[in-house]
Amino acid sequence: MESRAIVSYQTPSGQRVEVVKQTFSSVRKRPAKRVAFVSGLHGNELEGIYLCHLLIRYLQNLQRTQPKAFQGEVHIYPAVNPQAISAGSRLWPFFSQDINRQFGGDNGNSLPAQSASELLDDLKSSVDIAVDFHASNLHLKEAPQIRILDGLHKNLLPLAIQCNVDLIWVHPASPMFESTLGYNLNQARVKTLVIETGVGLRLHRKFADQLFQGMLNLLHHTGVLVDTGSLPKIDPPVIAHPSQVALLQSRYAGLFVGHSDLKKNVAKGEVIGEVLSATDGEVLQEVTAPESGFLFTVREHPLVYPGAPLARIALRDEGCP
Amino acid sequence: MKETILSIPSPLGPPTDLLKFSWEGTPIKETVSIVGGIQGNHLNGIYLCSRLIRFLDAVEAEIEPDYILKGRIQVIPAVNLPAFQEGNRLWSFDDLDMDLAFPGNDQGEVAEQIAAAVYQHTKDSQFGIILNNADNHYEDAPHLVCMNPDNLTKDFARSLGPPNAREPENSPALRLCLYNQWTENRLPSVILSAGKPNHLDRALCETLFAGLVNSLLWTGVLVNKRKKTKKYPVRFNNRNNEKFVFAGAGGFFLLLVQPGSEIKKGQKIGEIVDMYSGTVIDSPLAQSDGYLVTLRDYPVVYQKEVLAVLLKKQKFSFWPF
Ligand SMILES: [Zn+2]
Repeated sequence: MESRAIVSYQTPSGQRVEVVKQTFSSVRKRPAKRVAFVSGLHGNELEGIYLCHLLIRYLQNLQRTQPKAFQGEVHIYPAVNPQAISAGSRLWPFFSQDINRQFGGDNGNSLPAQSASELLDDLKSSVDIAVDFHASNLHLKEAPQIRILDGLHKNLLPLAIQCNVDLIWVHPASPMFESTLGYNLNQARVKTLVIETGVGLRLHRKFADQLFQGMLNLLHHTGVLVDTGSLPKIDPPVIAHPSQVALLQSRYAGLFVGHSDLKKNVAKGEVIGEVLSATDGEVLQEVTAPESGFLFTVREHPLVYPGAPLARIALRDEGCP
Repeated sequence: MKETILSIPSPLGPPTDLLKFSWEGTPIKETVSIVGGIQGNHLNGIYLCSRLIRFLDAVEAEIEPDYILKGRIQVIPAVNLPAFQEGNRLWSFDDLDMDLAFPGNDQGEVAEQIAAAVYQHTKDSQFGIILNNADNHYEDAPHLVCMNPDNLTKDFARSLGPPNAREPENSPALRLCLYNQWTENRLPSVILSAGKPNHLDRALCETLFAGLVNSLLWTGVLVNKRKKTKKYPVRFNNRNNEKFVFAGAGGFFLLLVQPGSEIKKGQKIGEIVDMYSGTVIDSPLAQSDGYLVTLRDYPVVYQKEVLAVLLKKQKFSFWPF
């Protein structure tokens, strides 16, 4: 494994902050495929950092025991926003900026914009396929899923189904995505999958283990790794198109108390939670599933304002068992 | 008229009330919209709105006898009220940049609902002004921001007073700003940026106030029987004319120049000293002549950060009218 700093700058106290890339080279002169794993754009999303740890540990061991398994190249960027991760905050602390809104176009010359552009250039020049790991924010808990913008699904679905996620959500396009790393890599023809899993500032070992199997499978599927023994076991995902996702929102300001965890088979009418008045004994809203399906998002943050998302359900296809 | 255009209840505290102030004369030909406080710590703009509200109330009450209302003027002083009340640029509950939430969604979360209300109330105006100040850590000399201004917008800009106009960064995130939503809706508009965040500069606001009143006279929504509208020279700078001075090291930045001054090529704009020993470790120099439009205000700097933005004189001499 080779380490290289792709972004480096000095802090006010004279120390250096570095964004490190770990590379596992191919035994072939022309690698089969070059795959990148990126995590920590948002410093409060820790699931991907743990996943990068699992991947690095596995690949280091594999390189020692079976160096010939590496027919392609793997680049791991475990912590691309080190200062935000150190503070456990979504935004880059000193600048209060979301680095995942700094990609593409002429974004000015702020340090976050410079770092975003150096990361994007490095990825564009060194990989064919990228996986950008995100957890959810502090408000929502998400089942392991890949979000693909409508229009890119033909290109990305064949890769996404290899990743052992519970759900692939083909998401309506919106200008908001145009300043993200995922969008700009896909524009540059680096096939990029954006994974969302878990909740901010927490780890879910079960989700990480599941995604770890998925990432190994992706590396085999793309020919980056060969002959490592038995293939990882993966399950097929639910695939939901924009019209097949129901968003449940709060109608009131209050406290949301969840009654259900993420679950594959929520029944129509099942209670997902309640919105309560914080000041009197009143139950303001009973939140129930409008249809049966896969409850893949549930609210974790109890404070809600009107319009707050409480849950998402991937509706079961009519006619499917 | 003082109007609550959106009231969002909160789980416990008072509701978030978004206020709009408006004045009408007859016949109503045109509407001018003025919006401040998109960031909660852009205080000059919010204070300027209060100056305008006091003045226009006096006009309406015929206490300012020379002035007559001929159209509609509407002022939304504090868009990001939750952040303003917290004393921050962003509201800590969502950490969302309000100026990346437009055109908003009236069924969405708090920021989206606010953005939708502001946009709906202003989009059909004939002229628009957004009141900002510099980003966190910087101070702006008063200047305008406008993208590809047509002749009408240029004349509008010339009514406001600041001698320079810049182009905004052409980034994907710009599409989510109120300014861009206005221009896409063919609303001639400008951003007026002056001063620094978290500060209220009364003397500066008085100068800007005179310019704002002049611009209302220029649009014809306000008439003064004795005063002629002034037309100020404005240099419209494009992005290529902007020259940046970067920090070569991290430390304390001790500035030697003032925003709004003319800088000579090779002039030292300040010194960066080691935060412990006070040793000078970098002496940033201007790479070209130019007008110092933005200067670092907060003295703690990271290496590679922008310290100053200079507007370089164009080769062709400008023709202000
Ligand atoms: Zn994220």
